[in-house]
Amino acid sequence: MTDRPTPPPIPEALKKARDDFPILKREVNGKPLIYLDNAASTQKPQSVIDAITQYYAYENSNIHRGVHLLSTEATAAYENARTKLAAYLNANDESEIVFTRGATESINLVAHSFLAPLVSAGDEILISHMEHHANIVPWQLLCERTGAVLKVAPIFDNGDLDTDAYLSLMGPRTKLAAIVHVSNAIGTVNPIERIIEAAKDRGIHTLIDSAQSIQHMKLDVQALDCDFLVFSAHKMFMPTGIGGLYGKRAKLDSMRPYQGGGDMIAHVSFDGTTYKEPPYRFEAGTPHIAGGIGISAGIDYIESIGRDLIHDYETQLIDYAANRLKSTAGVRLIGEPSHRSGAISFVMDSAHAHDIGTILDTEGIAVRSGHHCCEPLMKRFGISATARASIALYNNHEDIDALVESLGRVHQLFG
Amino acid sequence: MNPELKALYRDTLLKHSREPKNKSVLKDVDAYFELKNPLCGDLITLYLKVSQKMVSKATFEAQCCSICMASASMLTEQITQSDIEEGVDFADSLIESLLQPGISIATLENEDIQSLAGVKSFPSRIRCATLPWEAFKGAVSRLR
Repeated sequence: MTDRPTPPPIPEALKKARDDFPILKREVNGKPLIYLDNAASTQKPQSVIDAITQYYAYENSNIHRGVHLLSTEATAAYENARTKLAAYLNANDESEIVFTRGATESINLVAHSFLAPLVSAGDEILISHMEHHANIVPWQLLCERTGAVLKVAPIFDNGDLDTDAYLSLMGPRTKLAAIVHVSNAIGTVNPIERIIEAAKDRGIHTLIDSAQSIQHMKLDVQALDCDFLVFSAHKMFMPTGIGGLYGKRAKLDSMRPYQGGGDMIAHVSFDGTTYKEPPYRFEAGTPHIAGGIGISAGIDYIESIGRDLIHDYETQLIDYAANRLKSTAGVRLIGEPSHRSGAISFVMDSAHAHDIGTILDTEGIAVRSGHHCCEPLMKRFGISATARASIALYNNHEDIDALVESLGRVHQLFG
Repeated sequence: MNPELKALYRDTLLKHSREPKNKSVLKDVDAYFELKNPLCGDLITLYLKVSQKMVSKATFEAQCCSICMASASMLTEQITQSDIEEGVDFADSLIESLLQPGISIATLENEDIQSLAGVKSFPSRIRCATLPWEAFKGAVSRLR
């Protein structure tokens, strides 16, 4: 029996964080909820819920149209979210933040409006073997339309990217290097700095999928110097149905609209239509205004705690979780990356991931079971599904201990 | 243990999932059908040999959870040496009784299969139990 690792101390600023999330007070199947499915979606603090309620109760109106007070207020609140996101990512200008429905739509937007006009048959798009389907399928669709070729860089058995192989696949015909920052399925943190630098040297455009890193660590798009970065708000304590695309202004300027409609035009006539400047060119129709207001409140919440503090604590907590799970009878980790963030995948020889998920659920513990929208990655490990525990700032070692204890009962039942 | 969980993982079901019957690849088959649950990745392939409208042999291969595994094992026992159309009728009745809250699975005359009733308390797991039976129906449709 391995000695139990020492639990990380909970910083003062996080001790009360749990109280900020009303859902964490509820029971599931008669047990207090232990929420370890944060990579799928995080919970929302009261301040975000209140901001959305406030908007619908007192400020509801459409934006960018109408001169009445409500519309003016709603427009300011929505645009404020863009300003805050730009600061959060250290973008050069707030016009570099495009609101979308989430990371998936952001990638599709780049595929349609940026990359499609640049590629022709034989050109290459580079990704890795650990991508989420959202960073695979839009490129496959583009390849189908254009005859471009999708190149996939391998990973090592421990779940690390074979970075040398990734870089060596950057060739004269590579038009875009897209890579997930943190793997949603196995928690690997990829060396995006090195990848972006190498891509720049070779004149290759870059896209970073930050859906699983933006809530866990500081991101500075100017320091990274990536061309595009995508994210989803609901994974960062904010509403579902909204997310964003960071794009360098020069790139956004070069792009055609993604969808046509109201709010994205400068002038419409039957003889021809002209479009607004970025970011509005890519935001057709009435947007998710309440979502934007939720983003604003969510950023305030994260900043009130501090991203460095969150990152330091979560790094210790996920290490604690990995160490505890590793020494749990019958449990095998899938992926033991040298640098991990947020998530741990595991399987049990005796019980399938769904059975694990069902039994944990009866004990109030929420984990994800399945392929995590990463079927090629699952295949790489020779499995069809894993159970995944993923943390956020409100989790603590007691959550991990409860998980480990329950897995003991799974092992008893099936072992 | 939670009583609903106990009803889900009955001994009969666990026995079938630990030691599934007829879990092998069958060669020279009259029909086979591969079915995947895209939500979770469970994958099953059902193989049928048929003689004079009777299933003479049924086997399966699967990467799946205990419920799907047990259900597939029970299916192969239920349909072997039985009329194909009767097998399809049985599959329809089973799928309906698992999906419809008001219908009891107890009317199906197979005690092992009655142990699948526990999934009715776990809506997200019902498809695990029905997947093999859908695969069987798929295989039969290829025979027609």
